[in-house]
Amino acid sequence: MDLRVPSGSFFTLIGLILLGMGAFAPHMGAAPLTTENVNVYSGAAMLVFGLFLLLMAWRATRLEKGSNT
Amino acid sequence: MKLAPVDYVILALYFAFVLGIGWRLRKRISSSGDFLTSGRSVPVWITSLAFIAANLGAVELVGMAGSGAKYGIMTAHFYWLGAIPAMLFMGIFMMPFYYGSKARSVPEYLKMRFDEKTRAFNAFSFAIMTIFSSGISMYALGLLLRLVLGWSFDVSVLASAAIVLAYTFLGGLTSAIYNEVLQFLLIVMGFAPLAILSVNKAGGWQGMVARLPPNMTHAWRYMGSPTDNPMGVEIFGMVAGLGFVLSFGYWCTNFLVVQRAMAADSMSAARRTPLIGTLPKMFLPFIVILPGIAALVLSKMNLGYAFPLKTTGGPDYDQVLTTLMAQFYPAGLLGVGLTGLMASFMSGMAGNVTAFNTVFTYDIYQSYIRPGAPDHHYLTVGRVTTVVGVLLSIGAAYLATRFNDIMDLLQLVFGCVNAPLFATFLLGMFWKRTTAHGAFAGLSLGTLAAVLTLSSTTAEGKGGWIAHLHTFPSQMAQNFWIAIIAFTTCFVISIAVSMFTTPRTDKDMEGLVYGLTKVPHDATAKWYQRPAPLTVIVVILLLILNIWFR
Repeated sequence: MDLRVPSGSFFTLIGLILLGMGAFAPHMGAAPLTTENVNVYSGAAMLVFGLFLLLMAWRATRLEKGSNT
Repeated sequence: MKLAPVDYVILALYFAFVLGIGWRLRKRISSSGDFLTSGRSVPVWITSLAFIAANLGAVELVGMAGSGAKYGIMTAHFYWLGAIPAMLFMGIFMMPFYYGSKARSVPEYLKMRFDEKTRAFNAFSFAIMTIFSSGISMYALGLLLRLVLGWSFDVSVLASAAIVLAYTFLGGLTSAIYNEVLQFLLIVMGFAPLAILSVNKAGGWQGMVARLPPNMTHAWRYMGSPTDNPMGVEIFGMVAGLGFVLSFGYWCTNFLVVQRAMAADSMSAARRTPLIGTLPKMFLPFIVILPGIAALVLSKMNLGYAFPLKTTGGPDYDQVLTTLMAQFYPAGLLGVGLTGLMASFMSGMAGNVTAFNTVFTYDIYQSYIRPGAPDHHYLTVGRVTTVVGVLLSIGAAYLATRFNDIMDLLQLVFGCVNAPLFATFLLGMFWKRTTAHGAFAGLSLGTLAAVLTLSSTTAEGKGGWIAHLHTFPSQMAQNFWIAIIAFTTCFVISIAVSMFTTPRTDKDMEGLVYGLTKVPHDATAKWYQRPAPLTVIVVILLLILNIWFR
């Protein structure tokens, strides 16, 4: 098992959830000391990180297939 | 702190992934080696992150933020003076003997290098220590979740233990290690925003420096005298006690972390595991310590943030991290932060459980209870020990609820156990004249010296059960000095007894001792795969950090 696949999928999902929260419910459960929409920022960061891991895993399987043929 | 449904969704998603990884890895287990030592097959980036994650338990995460608020940036010495140099030493000098000896555990190396009694001493003390450590951290987590979220202590303790048990039982060490990487990434992702938000609100680093007494924001400048700095430690105690003995003792001899490097797929990867691990480790203080310092600043700024207090009065440092989360995290991110906290607890506990089952199965059961059985028997024993280990930890957690003071004491004792052991390893690996009797005498008397020092000195009202020979300005200072005394005792006694006893022949010690072991030179490897260039980069970064925050 390539660990980048489950970790990548996990962070992609969490990123999407946070982005959704930030976009559609920006004031739900708001924090007293935070004014910015931090769900959007951190969600975007996690989404990018998750997709990056998935991309690396996909590249690795492609290289492996290439060396087998 | 109140959670929204989305926070529970994130937590549930995390549990599902953790269990899924364990389920997928179950097919990789066909021998006791696969289960207990990962069959030495894990890629180096994974072992490196697991190496630092196994140490990043909930007690450490919560404790580091608390220490940041209590001691300021000096807390970073646990990383910049302690852990990093020790990890470098471990990778460059010690790993060739650990990995090259083909030992399956730290106690087993002691058996190969010395004899049965030193192994037994280490195996039993380590087994007891892991069980209690994991119980204590379970207790701390249960208490925190009850306090912050109003969750039932029983449910938090039993549910989190059940999940750790499920994935370690299914996939053994590999599953623990793979999950530790996911947990590490989640801890970073979950707490980095908190660091950014809280430090920003506190006016950035410059704003924090302006609002705090200078000895909270300088790591080195106020170490001339114990009365000048919040930690109550002078420079010798800090450098020799924490920087040398305690950190090297922990990172170089504690099987909990060493096991992660030993699972690597080659000698070169095993050596690079702690070296690569230093890179993320070096920057962890920004995530785990800075929020604590920021909390102290925020509490003085009239923003509505009050520093957490105990019901009996006095600051409650354990609540620094969670009160900050409640102030800065909206629904969603709060779920990620809380999941990060759970993840840190699980990585710490799984680390203890997997180290415990290996030491019990190989160093206690196979050595003293039933040697010579077929391998599948030890695989079964390993699995059963995993269950027993978790049950014993739960027992220890409940013991902690009833005998709080005893647990406090145990934590103090555990803090000193690895100190004499490092002297044993240093002599064993680098001085071939060290004999088995010398090592055993040194280790037992060194440990005794630690316990005696603890019982005859006091600090912050603790210790001194036998006598009051000395009062230390702080518990930190007491801890560091106990380590120095225990290490020196072990070192001197081991040398003295070795001089009067017969050493083993060189042939018996091949692969175990410096000078009789071929240390690999990866001259053909790419530069970033060789230990030396990696070390140079780490040392330069480390110097910059120490000078910057001096």
